[in-house]
Amino acid sequence: MSQSLSVPTSRQRTAAGQAAMSDRWFSILLVVPAMVVILVFALLPLAYALDVSFRFADLTRGRIGDFVGLDNYRTVLHDKAFWDSAWVTVKFTLSAVFLEMVLGIAIAFLIHGATVGKGVIRSLMILPLATSAAVTGLFWRYLYDTQFGLINYFLGLIGLPEPNWLGDYTIALWSVILFDVWQWTPFVALIALAGLQALPKEPFEAAELDGASTFRILRTLTFPMLKPVLFLVLVLRTIDSVRLYDAVAVLTRGGPGTVTETMTFYLYRTGLKLFRMDYASTMAIFFLYAMLVASLFALRPLLTQFSSRASEG
Amino acid sequence: MKSMLKQGLLVAALTASAAPAAMAAECADADRVPITWSTIAGFYTDAMASLVSGFEAGHCVKVNVINIDNSQLYNKQVIEMVGETGAYDVVTLETSEKAEFAENGFILPMTDYFADKQAQLDDVAPTLAALTTRYKGDVWGLPYYTYTAGYIYRADLFDDPVEQEAFKKRFDYDLAVPTTWAQHHDIAEFFTRKAGETLKGEALTKDFYGVGLMAGPFPEIQDEMSGVLWSQGADWLTDDGTVPVDAVEKAMNDYLELMKYAPPAALTVTYDGVMNQMKDGQIAQTYSFFLDQWPNAVQTENTVPGARMGVAEAPEKKAYIGGFLLAVSTSSAHPQEAMDFVAYIGGFLLAVSTSSAHPQEAMDFVAYIGGHDAQMEFARAGGTSTLMSVLSDPGFATPESRTKTGHFATLLEIFDSMKGFRSNLFDTPFGAKIYNTMQIPLQSAAAGQINAREAAERLASEVEKICGGPCPIGK
Amino acid sequence: MLQRDSSFAREALRYGLIVLVLGFIVFPIAWMIITSFKPPEDVMVSPPRFLFTPTLENYVHAIYDKNFLFYIKNTLFISVTSTVIVIIAGSLAAYSFARYNVGDGHLLFFILSTKMFPAIAVILPYFLIFRDVGKTGVGRFLGIGLDQPGALIISYTVFNLPFAIWLLVSFFQDIPRELEHSARLDGLSRLQVLAKVVCPLAAPGIAVTGVFTLIFSWNEFLFAYILTRKVASTVTVGVESFFTLQGILWGPVAAAATISVLPMLVFVLAMQRYMVRGLTFGAVRG
Repeated sequence: MSQSLSVPTSRQRTAAGQAAMSDRWFSILLVVPAMVVILVFALLPLAYALDVSFRFADLTRGRIGDFVGLDNYRTVLHDKAFWDSAWVTVKFTLSAVFLEMVLGIAIAFLIHGATVGKGVIRSLMILPLATSAAVTGLFWRYLYDTQFGLINYFLGLIGLPEPNWLGDYTIALWSVILFDVWQWTPFVALIALAGLQALPKEPFEAAELDGASTFRILRTLTFPMLKPVLFLVLVLRTIDSVRLYDAVAVLTRGGPGTVTETMTFYLYRTGLKLFRMDYASTMAIFFLYAMLVASLFALRPLLTQFSSRASEG
Repeated sequence: MKSMLKQGLLVAALTASAAPAAMAAECADADRVPITWSTIAGFYTDAMASLVSGFEAGHCVKVNVINIDNSQLYNKQVIEMVGETGAYDVVTLETSEKAEFAENGFILPMTDYFADKQAQLDDVAPTLAALTTRYKGDVWGLPYYTYTAGYIYRADLFDDPVEQEAFKKRFDYDLAVPTTWAQHHDIAEFFTRKAGETLKGEALTKDFYGVGLMAGPFPEIQDEMSGVLWSQGADWLTDDGTVPVDAVEKAMNDYLELMKYAPPAALTVTYDGVMNQMKDGQIAQTYSFFLDQWPNAVQTENTVPGARMGVAEAPEKKAYIGGFLLAVSTSSAHPQEAMDFVAYIGGFLLAVSTSSAHPQEAMDFVAYIGGHDAQMEFARAGGTSTLMSVLSDPGFATPESRTKTGHFATLLEIFDSMKGFRSNLFDTPFGAKIYNTMQIPLQSAAAGQINAREAAERLASEVEKICGGPCPIGK
Repeated sequence: MLQRDSSFAREALRYGLIVLVLGFIVFPIAWMIITSFKPPEDVMVSPPRFLFTPTLENYVHAIYDKNFLFYIKNTLFISVTSTVIVIIAGSLAAYSFARYNVGDGHLLFFILSTKMFPAIAVILPYFLIFRDVGKTGVGRFLGIGLDQPGALIISYTVFNLPFAIWLLVSFFQDIPRELEHSARLDGLSRLQVLAKVVCPLAAPGIAVTGVFTLIFSWNEFLFAYILTRKVASTVTVGVESFFTLQGILWGPVAAAATISVLPMLVFVLAMQRYMVRGLTFGAVRG
């Protein structure tokens, strides 16, 4: 990885000599404030978690206990609930992120073509983002209610079946996904829309003059140009979806049973209900490890792009 | 009730701010010892806040009340205990959490403190006292509020001649408050109707259900099932500290039978949802329901035309029994004041030795509020007291006070029926963790994802995992 | 003629779909706002009630009885302070990454990776850290400790910095270097270039980053709930005081939620102008 990302700084150094050295110090100084905060508050908890993951730690029974080697890792690896929650997380992330990206981009195209009222549309779209999941989730629970809820009331009016959104174990996860899609699709759409609006006009006019089909323009011009933006959104949305907690906590509390229990919710239950910080920390480390491995592959193009652009000019 | 609630809040807000100023003559604000009480957000505790000022009047203490959502109270308190922050002097515990807090040294024993106040301790309903105050021979706190469960139902349906006749015809016995699970099941089945069918001779505009259940993703599902399990002579944990799988399977199956007659929303709600269903005229009865909700349930008489509410002991005379317990944190910087506070709110002590500089005023104060009166005032505001002397006060048995305290007589009956009852769930230091986990297999079964046997087995293995083998039981 | 018809039909279809999408997005919030004006007896009824006598009782309850503005005040202070810190520290770092490629991208990757550690796993160490810092003289002086605003300000700063830096890097990369070179030749120092040339150009990007940082801080629940008790509690924790033993007070919750959305909405509307330009993430180039 380091090779592909390394930047040819030698050119600058030889060219500018003394000034490049000072550039280097300047650039490092700029990073210091942010790095101090991040290092202290990201590495200390990580060190704590690593330490605890090798010990016995039931917080309601005394302090952090004895060294137990890899016992916690073995326990977690053999914990069916852990793997179940991992599977729920994967299902949730794939479905929610896929829907949000597809719908978000589609909505962006829809609005991009609109001639009037874009400001109003944008303002309304930001609403779900401006409210906390803890509160809007509560109202979604109310909307989903089979007796008092608005959704089933309308479905009943037009004679459609009225599902038990959060109580039916076959669809509860989808109800959580629907809520997440509601909250985050506008985020994707707003960013994609801004991306569309920033596209230069000339290549498209030229393509139209050449008589290229809409599909061809999309494939060869629009999407390649939007790719960097969409990729960053995809990464951010994926990281957030994998860490999903609020929506589950307020909508289903992992239920019915454990059908909607995501990894972070299971972590919460283990760490802050059962107070087994040893297992919770071990799971967190597995979680981090999986994320890092996945992102080493997924983020490569993004990092390459950033690095190469940083070294331009 | 709404205006009462507002009034309670107003009183709380006013007294909280006015009390220190009013008492400044006796005790300078700067001298007041600050103690903090972590408790459940909501109406009853807000009513209790007005009593806090009563305590502050007699003690040179400033009580800070911290309101926490019921579902978060346990872990928030444990974190502060584990961190030994001393932030909470007086904590509020659920019955199943007492053993854990005692065993792990989170709270202080109060046995010595109560040594010369035995009479006051004896006023707590004995059944409740046995379950809540004691663990391994010591006294650990006082219950100040009980949510012991009973049977709340639509009495108007039971008294309707048309329904009575139809019931008799179908089941060959009289429609009455059920005393067995079989009868309860029959009644649930009988009152389950579709929109368009008739109830009390009138056509229903929406579906009507025989029973309201709390089968949502909350611990209350096991409170409800406790009634069935306990009435079958079983317990969640045997004396060996393991889950009796066969007994739990049987209770689970009985519960699943009832699910057929509950609204679909049963799978997503807890007690507040059931109360909403009741007040909206969707259900005929509850199954084993927290009686402290009586003032809430009685609202149905205002919202559903012709409705009249009734309250009784649960079928088979066994139901969840428990209460919120006040206890003193080990990391409290002012344990003595905290204990005084527990004793006061618990409704007992007002031997106000701290105000010896003003004995006359202190005595006036005792005469005016008094330990017993504190709980009386609480009860008048709609709170469910734990004191025998309050529950049996004739003033609360009058027709006028029915909407607030109509359940007191039933509570006394329940305490009598369940005399000497103990559950191992409340006597294991893992009680709280088990309590916070059991809902998962039980709810899976209620939702139909697994069967009763699987639920019982899963519960057994979860409990074994939590305790690391058989659970220790400390009586 | 035929063509005009078809394009009219297309526009009608487009706006029809837009209305549908907006309806889906807005209706849960609209229902929440409607609920905030409902008397209690009209909330939990089936079928849902659309006609009722509006009341301000819920707002009175939230503002006067539950003192909800106290939480708004806390949250404003905490999230605005944290956002300012994030923007300053984040801009400096992002500029360095964008122009000097400090750490060859590894550092940038490391920063993003700190976002991948589950919040639940860091909350207890945070609790212990702030407990200990709060006991020191510095902690007391700066208000960094349990139940003090400093603890949340720091938490939200750590929480939002990675996201902010990544966004800002791409904005800074969009600014042509030539401008900076010529400014340097005019005799401006590096810091002056950053303050007087780069930041004004990157204003839209900074605005967007600020909006999202503020929104995320405003809506955070877990840290606020564990690290505060009473003095520094924020709106998301304040809403919990409406979950009573008698059930959720739906009307007052809706009123409180509506109140707490308003500052965000005003802020977002004020930033609209910038966001339109800024939301490209700068990564789109012609």
